[in-house]
Amino acid sequence: MNKRLNDIYCVFRIHLARLRREAGPFLLAALVFPAGMYLFAGAVARQTEAVVSPALGRRFLAASMVFSLSLTAISWLGYLLLENRFTGRLKLFATLPVAPSSYVFGILIFALLQGALGTVSLLAAARFFGAPAAPDGLTGVAALMLVVIVSILALCGISVIVAARVRSFSEGSLYTDALGAGIVLLAPVYYPAESMPAVLRPLGWVLPTVYIDSALDKILAGNPAVFGELAVLAAMAVVLLGAGFRLLDWREE
Amino acid sequence: MDFDYENLPAVRVTNLVKRYKNGTLAIRRLDFTVRKGEAVAILGANGAGKTTFLRQLTTELKPTSGTIEIFGLDAVREAGRAKLTMGVTPQEAGVFETLTAREHLELFGRLKGLGKAAARAASDELLEALELRAEAKKTVGTLSGGQRRRILVGLALIGAPPLLILDEPTTGLDPQSRRTVWALIKRAIGTGTTVIFSTHYLEEAENLSTRIAFISGGELVADGSLAALRARLPQKYRLSYANGSGPFPQPRVEFFETFAGAQQFIGDRRIGEYQLATVSLENVYFSIVGERIGEERAFEDE
Repeated sequence: MNKRLNDIYCVFRIHLARLRREAGPFLLAALVFPAGMYLFAGAVARQTEAVVSPALGRRFLAASMVFSLSLTAISWLGYLLLENRFTGRLKLFATLPVAPSSYVFGILIFALLQGALGTVSLLAAARFFGAPAAPDGLTGVAALMLVVIVSILALCGISVIVAARVRSFSEGSLYTDALGAGIVLLAPVYYPAESMPAVLRPLGWVLPTVYIDSALDKILAGNPAVFGELAVLAAMAVVLLGAGFRLLDWREE
Repeated sequence: MDFDYENLPAVRVTNLVKRYKNGTLAIRRLDFTVRKGEAVAILGANGAGKTTFLRQLTTELKPTSGTIEIFGLDAVREAGRAKLTMGVTPQEAGVFETLTAREHLELFGRLKGLGKAAARAASDELLEALELRAEAKKTVGTLSGGQRRRILVGLALIGAPPLLILDEPTTGLDPQSRRTVWALIKRAIGTGTTVIFSTHYLEEAENLSTRIAFISGGELVADGSLAALRARLPQKYRLSYANGSGPFPQPRVEFFETFAGAQQFIGDRRIGEYQLATVSLENVYFSIVGERIGEERAFEDE
C-alpha cells in the first residue's frame, strides 16, 4: 500500500478504536440528543397545532439530522482533536514520518464514518417514530450521501480550526461544545427565519447548518436537486478545511 | 533508505540557537556532534534546555538559527526524511487509551513504514521484551502509568530505527521496569543504534551512555566520557564518614586527589566506618555546572 494511504488508514484505525470502545457517548451525540430534539420540537408544535403537518415533521427531521451532524463533527470530533493536542498524543504523530495532511485525512474519514452512522441511525429512529419522510429512491440516497459528505467536511473544518488555535483544553472544549449546539440553535432550522430577531437573520447566510438543513429538507421531500446547497457547502468546506490545514502545524515555532 | 549511515555523523548540530516567541533564550549557540553508535546522556537541571534541544533534534521545534543534520539530512528542510531514521520518546506524550497494547505498537509500526506482518512480528517481540505480553490484549487505558511509559518506549524502538532520541525515558518507572527499559536500550546500542537520551537518573547515565553532555542555561558546558569528565576534577576520591559518636553522628564528605591522601586522612582521624570511592557523576556535575541535577532552573532572558 502507498505510504500516504497506509498512514491515512492507520490514523483512521487508531480513532476507530475509540468509536468501538466508546460507542455510548457517540450514540448520545449522534442519535439520542437529536432524536430527543425531534420529539421535543414535535411536542412544542402540537401545543399550537392539533396535527404536525408532514412539511413541519420533515423540517424537524432535517433539523435533527443537522443537529446530529453538528454534534458529531464539531463537539465530539473537536473534543477528540483537542485531546490529541493537549494530552501529548499529537506529539506521537509529529515525531513520526507522517504528513500532517495524512493525519487530517485519517480524521476526516473517521468523521465521515461517524456522520454516516449518525444519519442512518437517526433515519431509522425517525421511521420508528413515524416520521413522514425518507430519501426517495437511489437518486435521493445518493444526494443524501453527497450532502452528508460535504457537510461533514465543512463542519470538520471548524473543529480543526478550533483544535489548532485554542490555548488550552478547557477553552477548546468550551468552543466545540458551544459551536456544536450553537450553530444549529442559532440557525433557522427548527423554526422559520422570520421568527428570528432581525439582528440575527444574517446568520442564515453564513452558517453551514442552514444550507445543510435546506438540502436535507429538499431530499426528504423527494427533491434531490440540491446543487446550490452542495456548491455553497463545498465552498465552505474548502475555505474552512483550508484554514484548518494551514493552522495545523506539526512544528512549533 | 539511501542515508549514509557509515560515514556521516548520526547528528551534527552547528551554532544552534532557540529563542521562544516570548523572548526566552533556551539554547545559545550550541555545537554538538554524535557519531554513529554512540550513546549520549544529556544531563542538566530542570529548565537547562535539555528538552528544547531534543525537541529540535526530533524536528518538533523549529530552531531560531543554526543547523541540525541527522545522518547528513537537514532536519529543518528535510524533516520527513530525517524522521524516517528516528525513534522518539517525547517527555510528555500521551497514549491512545482505547487501543490495546498490541494494536498501539502495531499501528505505530505501520506508520513507521513496516508492512502488516512485520509490524505484527515487531510488536509481539517488543511486548515480550517490555514484559507486557500478558497485557497485549488489554486496552492501554487500563494499564498502569509505568506500563504506559514502557509502551511509549516501545513506540520509539519499533522498526529498529538507527537513531533513538529519548527524553527522560524512564521517568516514573519503578526500579524493575527501569531495568527492563535499560536492557532494551542496551540491546539497541549493542546492534549499533545511536542513542541520545536525557535523564535525571545518574545511575542511568552511567549505565547506558558512552558519553555524557552537561547542559546548563542553554549551553553545552561539558562533554565527554565519564572517565574524561572525572579527570577534569583535581579530586578523584570521595570519602564519606560519620563524625562524632552517640546516636546522631554528623555525616561528613571529603574529597582527595590521591588514594594515599584519603588513607592518610582516615588514619590520622582514626575513622572506623567510612566509604571511600572514586568521585561520582553527581560530584563531577556539581563541580562543573555548579548546580544540582533535578534542581529547578528558570530559562534566562536576554
